[in-house]
Amino acid sequence: MALLEVKGLTTRVSGFTILDNLDFAVDEHELRVLLGPNGAGKTTLISLITGQYKPTSGRIVFDGRDITGRAPDEIFLAGISRKFQVPNMYETLSVYDNVMVSLQSARRVFRYMLKRVTREDDDRIWEILEFVELADRAGEPADTLSHGERQWLELAMLIASRPKLLLLDEPTTGMTEQGKQKTAQLIQRIARSHTVLLVEHDMHIVRQLAKKVTVLHQGQVLAEGSLDEVVDNETVRAVYLGKGHA
Amino acid sequence: MATQARSAGERKVRRSRLLPRSVLVVGALVAAAISAFPVVGGTDSYVLQLIGKFLCFSIFALSVDLIWGFTGILSLGQAVYFGIGAYTIALSMKLNYTIENSTRYGGTIPDFMVWNGLTEVPGFMEPLLSTPIAIALALAIPTLLAFIFGVITFKRHIYGVYCAVITLAEALILEQFLIEYQAYTGGFNGVTDYGNTRTAQFLWFLVVLTALCFFGARLLTHSRIGTVLKSVRDNDVRAEFMGYNVANYRIFVFCVSAFLAALAGALYAAWVGIISPGDTGPRFSIEAVIWTAVGGRATLIGPFIGTFLVRGLEFLLSGSWLANYWQFFMGALFILVVLVMRDGIVGTLLNWYRARRRGAPAEIREEQDRLEKDRQHDWRPSSEPGSRNDPV
Repeated sequence: MALLEVKGLTTRVSGFTILDNLDFAVDEHELRVLLGPNGAGKTTLISLITGQYKPTSGRIVFDGRDITGRAPDEIFLAGISRKFQVPNMYETLSVYDNVMVSLQSARRVFRYMLKRVTREDDDRIWEILEFVELADRAGEPADTLSHGERQWLELAMLIASRPKLLLLDEPTTGMTEQGKQKTAQLIQRIARSHTVLLVEHDMHIVRQLAKKVTVLHQGQVLAEGSLDEVVDNETVRAVYLGKGHA
Repeated sequence: MATQARSAGERKVRRSRLLPRSVLVVGALVAAAISAFPVVGGTDSYVLQLIGKFLCFSIFALSVDLIWGFTGILSLGQAVYFGIGAYTIALSMKLNYTIENSTRYGGTIPDFMVWNGLTEVPGFMEPLLSTPIAIALALAIPTLLAFIFGVITFKRHIYGVYCAVITLAEALILEQFLIEYQAYTGGFNGVTDYGNTRTAQFLWFLVVLTALCFFGARLLTHSRIGTVLKSVRDNDVRAEFMGYNVANYRIFVFCVSAFLAALAGALYAAWVGIISPGDTGPRFSIEAVIWTAVGGRATLIGPFIGTFLVRGLEFLLSGSWLANYWQFFMGALFILVVLVMRDGIVGTLLNWYRARRRGAPAEIREEQDRLEKDRQHDWRPSSEPGSRNDPV
């Protein structure tokens, strides 16, 4: 059964249709790459799934529950964690604390009030920090990290929350080649135990990671399948990949 | 998942202790100095009254710091909660005072009620005759009001500048309300002549309560929930997408802060023995913001130092030959702090100390970016672009 199912999703903003009756599904333990030219609706789709915007019509079913139109924090608690396009963390908090506040736990104010960082929490935080190779910087405020390190810290925060589905919106933007390679490796390792939906432009990375690719165009699914199938697809080549690729 | 286990020794993150020994020592010295004052300076001195006032003000500034410095909610109407706490206690003391010391009109109800044609204490004020009930109300009403305000604004995602403007309006409304309903509030003159609690013992009490408030605030800000509050301040969108109901956390800290402000107001009214609508208005609210900014927001000792420094300077300057100009100096001090020391006095000192210990953030970041560029320069693709080799 599909973990995430999007049925007939439509979004219109001031008469402009961004997503047009979109049907889309992600299975459990899958690493799905979402491709599409600028304005295809990739980020909008992610924003709709995570509750940042509300759809005009259509349903989003996650893990058997209808989460359409829910608030972002509720959707997170249902098990969806999102990485933003621009690194998005708590700048004055230490790297350690950034991961600590992201740990999976009760989120209600009065349940949270008496919480302490237990030994297990501490172990888990260090485990995650070592996974993204930021353990050496644990005590420093997050705003001293370089751009790439910030991206990895955000990945670390996502893992800490033990999500059922990770939505990664262009996690390699603005990175050096080496940084992109490291990110690709991290994502690959994360995908062994998590379901991942990845938006990525860098075809080099996509080639390394993708088993199954979905191409969006003008708010609709244009093609879906293995990367080779998609790349060979005439329409896809016409609208997206152009002459330089494939 | 971890590649190699890290020994416990390597896993240290430098965390400040809940109560560093230095804070305890300095705090104890300050408390002792303040408490010893009545013995040295006598219980009648003006300076004694000032110190008590400043202690109340520093609790008030602490309440501003909790929401502004630690959670990023700028309230320009915090004096509302201070004022309601203060008025509740002042009215209670006044009612009891006039029963024992009849007014010059011979009645047993407060003079301002007589002027406005009331012949007996209105029913809704009767609970105030009991001191314990008055104290409970002085703390509960502002907290409840803050809760209602929080639900209305934060649940609708109103914060930032809009929240500041709404709180400002709140303070204006209360100030006007108190002036308008003078039969119950004493109007423009406020509540006066109800005695006071200006004794050495009460100063001790103030010192202990101030210490407790600061300790409680430190417990809150250095606990796990405190980290969540700071994360809301740093990036509320991220916090929301991390499953935190940001509005609820804001409401929570707003209520705690209103409670502290109400406590400060109640103590102030009892200590000083006079309260006027100005103590609930925007001017006073903004003053508290200034004390906090000067001392250093997002530090707990900052509001304390800021209050004593600004109010102390005000006292010294207004009494000197500069009496006509001291407000210019206070304005200049505030502008200077905002321009040159954005983190206030304590914050700037802390930053300087931390920078000395491990290099300034900007330098570290530059170095990291340079290292990353170097690595990129050295990096050679292990496989041809487009190959299917698994890099793991």
